[in-house]
Amino acid sequence: MQLTFSQDDEAFMHAARGWLAKNVPGDRAPYEGQASREFALAWLARCHAGGWAGISWPAEYGGQGLPPERLVLWYEEYVRARAPSVLDCTFVALNHAGPTLIASGTEQQKAFHLPRILSGSAIWCQGFSEPNSGSDLASLSTSAIVDGDELVVNGQKIWTSYADIADYQELLVRTEPGSKRHKGLSWVICDMRAPGVTVRPIRNIAGVSHFAEVFYDDVRIPASSVVGELNEGWRVAMTTLGFERKTAAMGLQLDLSVRVEDLISLAEARPGSAVAERLAELRAEAAALRAMTYRTLFREPATPFDGSLVRLRFAELSQAIHHTAMDILGPDGLIDSHWTHDYLEAYSETIAGGTAEIQRNIIAERILGMPRE
Amino acid sequence: MSCDLNHSEEQRQILDTAAALLEESFPVSRSPGEDHGRIGKLAEFGAFALALDEEHGGTGFSLVEEVLLHVLLGRHNVSTAALAAPVAARIAAELGDADLARGIAAGDTIVCAAIPADGKLRLVDAAGARLAVVFDKRRLELIEIADADSQVVIGLGHGADVADTPAETTRRIGASNSAAILDTADLLVSAQLLGIAEATGDLAVSYAAVRRQFGKPIGAFQAVKHHCANIAISAEMLSAQIDLAAIAVRDGRDDAAFQTAAARLLAPRVALANARLCIQVHGGIGFSAETNAHRFLKRAHILRQLGGGAALLDLASPMAPHR
Repeated sequence: MQLTFSQDDEAFMHAARGWLAKNVPGDRAPYEGQASREFALAWLARCHAGGWAGISWPAEYGGQGLPPERLVLWYEEYVRARAPSVLDCTFVALNHAGPTLIASGTEQQKAFHLPRILSGSAIWCQGFSEPNSGSDLASLSTSAIVDGDELVVNGQKIWTSYADIADYQELLVRTEPGSKRHKGLSWVICDMRAPGVTVRPIRNIAGVSHFAEVFYDDVRIPASSVVGELNEGWRVAMTTLGFERKTAAMGLQLDLSVRVEDLISLAEARPGSAVAERLAELRAEAAALRAMTYRTLFREPATPFDGSLVRLRFAELSQAIHHTAMDILGPDGLIDSHWTHDYLEAYSETIAGGTAEIQRNIIAERILGMPRE
Repeated sequence: MSCDLNHSEEQRQILDTAAALLEESFPVSRSPGEDHGRIGKLAEFGAFALALDEEHGGTGFSLVEEVLLHVLLGRHNVSTAALAAPVAARIAAELGDADLARGIAAGDTIVCAAIPADGKLRLVDAAGARLAVVFDKRRLELIEIADADSQVVIGLGHGADVADTPAETTRRIGASNSAAILDTADLLVSAQLLGIAEATGDLAVSYAAVRRQFGKPIGAFQAVKHHCANIAISAEMLSAQIDLAAIAVRDGRDDAAFQTAAARLLAPRVALANARLCIQVHGGIGFSAETNAHRFLKRAHILRQLGGGAALLDLASPMAPHR
């Protein structure tokens, strides 16, 4: 077992540190709307111009094509420099839609979309969940009927983050009428400006509207926008699983180590908050989450289900950190602050992208081999 | 490859050999208090000398292999003699007593662990031991207990052999507060606690697969399944942290003390939580002394008392923000 970074890796780290020190915006990202779009795209464009966008994307698609060592060093420097959260409106494009196109897209799809994603010119959102298909995603019913060289989409998606400011959507629809479960689905690129697409933003518990319902009323999508084969959408959606351990989710996990340091500073500024033991525990857990992050990168074989362990640990640690912040803040937690905002936002972490309960089922059944229900 | 968290072929071989030895000679159902009769087998295997200098009987391995071995020892609730020996050998070597270091490493001299308590020393698994290592927070002391006037105390019950002795009946050999030895001791304790955390997980999962109620294995119910998932998450978290800490200490990295303190802080919490869930998943039989779940719980309570005085909040984080 080794964790030795080469001199070239160290040089890369210092270059990243230097660039971030000069380029990280001084102001906090806006929480929602057009302003959040402009902020995120400007930041991504700046990273792109500096040669820091798409660290793990293959070089042939404009990425840096760098190995995991560089990726982890980049994200460590990124969060220590307090760069904008990686979980902004560029996240889906950079970490899900882009990698899916790389794995399953046509040359034409790749040539059109990948440069736009990486240079900070397009926002993507994800259209997977439906009102009646949350944890049970495979039960989704939004339909797309083939009509000549077009698909005609009808139905509804929900909990679509950044739908109101997105240009494109990765949309999972049922293209084979009467098909059940994972069969008969297709993964298509939906232009959010297409006629018949209606977005209704939903206000979340933090008081901001960055997710939405999306309605499709005879929306016509060119058949050339299907990614992978028609009716093979589930397989297409799964191909990105292997990519997931190399995504910016790593940045979120590592960021919790920085959050804990901030939490310790917050407590030090408020003597008498009597949370020292709790802070030590959170610090240890953040260190361990970082260690788990290293494992996902540097230990083989990696299975898709290992991600559930790290993801769940991240979600619950994030909530614990923000809960402790509220304990420390006391009455000041009632006043709007970024801690209060982030505390409320953290409630999504055990729900979005697979609830904690579903993650535990996956861990028990797929990793531990326990009996299915 | 410069970053590689896989076990090497050589590491796998040592672990496989150790696992076979433990399976054969250290069944979990035995009492660790009687391990002095078997502990020689571990010494023969080289367990206590694994990472020592060659002049003290070392076999050229490192703390990383030693930590991996101690995870297995934890899985078998091995007596504190197996923990105290490598620590005592290091103290003896630091004191310049190479003969003593070699004797301990070879298993000729059995050492047990001791915990200071109200002016007395609480000896754990002292049968057959001539020396003890006193785990006094950030200080480790090597003492002779051969003629100590000790009295067996009934506390945690069988599976845990504890005796009190007045401190003045022992003889001090020497002490150490060197960071390298303290970090090593904390890591070995943490590794054994991880072994407990993993073994209780295995026990719970296998029981949940065979115990049937309402016409199906209890493991099919989410309430039980989620207990097992929680056990697995905690064990994985601790395991990842211990690996990282062991590498940091072996390589003398700046964050060695931080990573070790983090591991040592988490280890007893994880082991005790997993042991508790293991008993819970077993239901009535888990509360009986007829399964092994309680043995792991008790061993975790003993191990948590050994060392661990580093204040994590006083150490610099390797992830401190730049501004």
